[in-house]
Amino acid sequence: MKRIKLGTICLYCILCIACFVILIPVFMVVINSFKDRNEAAMMNIHLPSSFHILENYKEMIAEGGIIRGFLNSMFITVICVFGLILLCSAMAFVLQRKKNLFSKIINMTVVFGLVLPIQIIPTYFVCNFFHLPHVASAIFVLIVANMSFTVFLYTGFMKSIPAEIDESAWIDGANQFQLFFHIIFPLLQPVTVTAIIINFMAVWNDFGISIYFLNSARNYTLPLTVYNFFGNHSSDWQLVFANVVLATLPVMIVYLLLQKYIIAGMTAGAVKG
Amino acid sequence: MKRGKMKRYSYALAVPGLALYIIFFIIPAVGGLLLSFVKILGFDLSSARFGGISNYIDVFTQPNMRLAIYNSFVFAVITTILKTVIGLSLAVALNRRMPMTNALRTIFFLPAVINTVAVGLIFSSLMHPTNGLINTFLRSIGLEAMAKPWLVDTRLAIFSVCAIEIWKWSGFTMVILLSGMQAIGKDYYEAAEIDGAVGWKKFRYITFPLLLPAFNNALILNMIGGLKVFDLIQATTQGGPGSATEVFGTIIFKSFGSGRLGEGCAASVLLAVIIAAITIPTYKYIADREVEM
Repeated sequence: MKRIKLGTICLYCILCIACFVILIPVFMVVINSFKDRNEAAMMNIHLPSSFHILENYKEMIAEGGIIRGFLNSMFITVICVFGLILLCSAMAFVLQRKKNLFSKIINMTVVFGLVLPIQIIPTYFVCNFFHLPHVASAIFVLIVANMSFTVFLYTGFMKSIPAEIDESAWIDGANQFQLFFHIIFPLLQPVTVTAIIINFMAVWNDFGISIYFLNSARNYTLPLTVYNFFGNHSSDWQLVFANVVLATLPVMIVYLLLQKYIIAGMTAGAVKG
Repeated sequence: MKRGKMKRYSYALAVPGLALYIIFFIIPAVGGLLLSFVKILGFDLSSARFGGISNYIDVFTQPNMRLAIYNSFVFAVITTILKTVIGLSLAVALNRRMPMTNALRTIFFLPAVINTVAVGLIFSSLMHPTNGLINTFLRSIGLEAMAKPWLVDTRLAIFSVCAIEIWKWSGFTMVILLSGMQAIGKDYYEAAEIDGAVGWKKFRYITFPLLLPAFNNALILNMIGGLKVFDLIQATTQGGPGSATEVFGTIIFKSFGSGRLGEGCAASVLLAVIIAAITIPTYKYIADREVEM
């Protein structure tokens, strides 16, 4: 009995240390965004000798373009997530229901995108060829980059919706569009919630694709504004920290409010396989 | 009858999505393969000349490219192993009734939702050679010798970047494994206890075999993520100092920036082949050993 108790105490200690490893960096950033320039440059976790919250954040907002970044991120993310849900659920419906060789091959090809990284340079050529504006290119590429996973997710769930439902809709004279949008899509709601969460996180936090396509301050998303803000202010740590805090705040609030759904959503595909 | 049913499902609904997939994924994938055999200046297709395998030769002979291949492997191996080990340990620790389980889970998962650029900047500060919190802490507990210029030292930098990646994604691995564990029925453990299995034996003969599907997925996700890492490196070292942390992702980005597009495509094709060649057999190998629950 005593041994078990000792073990439990050890376990708690280790978990506490692990917690600190996660939380101290976060605390460090927040506390240093309240300090003046010299104190913030020390980058320690002491409380500030005097608080400079308003002036730091005001200065950072005034020149950081962070509000524009937030609006751009919002715009791009909403369109991408909406597009992904609509396109992928419809694709999964057809590919799962049609059981011929051709649809299986297409399905395999789409799922193969889970493994293969997107070829960004030739994609750039394609966007150039169509004279797509930068934002549109970014939206299309971000949709396609997350398409395989979303189709995969929907296909898995689609299997659990019996084909008898389709049958009765056919008999009632519905066409495929009515069947899908009025009957099947509402039934997909649980997986749609998951897909929204995964894709929202992926697109909102994307940096690796947007850095190629969004290359002027006008269309920077939040991660890009943070990246470029640091490039211009690498010695003003108080402003950099304020920038990081404000850029992370929206997603953090959403996470803390909906953490149960977000954790379940982001890991859903990986658990079922 | 069966044929008649099939006919009612038409591809019309799938066409918009498939069109996008073909235009922005399939065509670039094939085009990238073709471009990797072409010498081209910038985005001017009229300057394209057939170059044979010269782009690939460049990839293998230029020292920074060779370093990038080496670093990508180092990064993928180290982060995959440590993310999995830490994730699994945390999952085992949290897979029991404890008052704080939910709060701990929320905290450990937190880094996964912070964007990589922010994480990179936070660690650029933490790993700052003179004032960074890590070195300050090491000095304060008397480990002066352990205080290193983490991201500035050419030999250390790649390992420091690995540490950041591990910090960010271990909690994610933990959650994947944890939900795998929670799907294992209690009766398995009860049966094992009757047979006298305790602690390690229960883990070895029950938890682990039944966890294999989730474990496999976590492993593959981490391997793919490690091999194609770009954003974290770009946000912290940009491949530097020198080319000490150069990986496939940064090489492709740099060749894009400098207009050496053929080389970029060759590196990109090579990365795709490496990822497929490593992850698909690994996935199959583990999947063959899964047991039905």
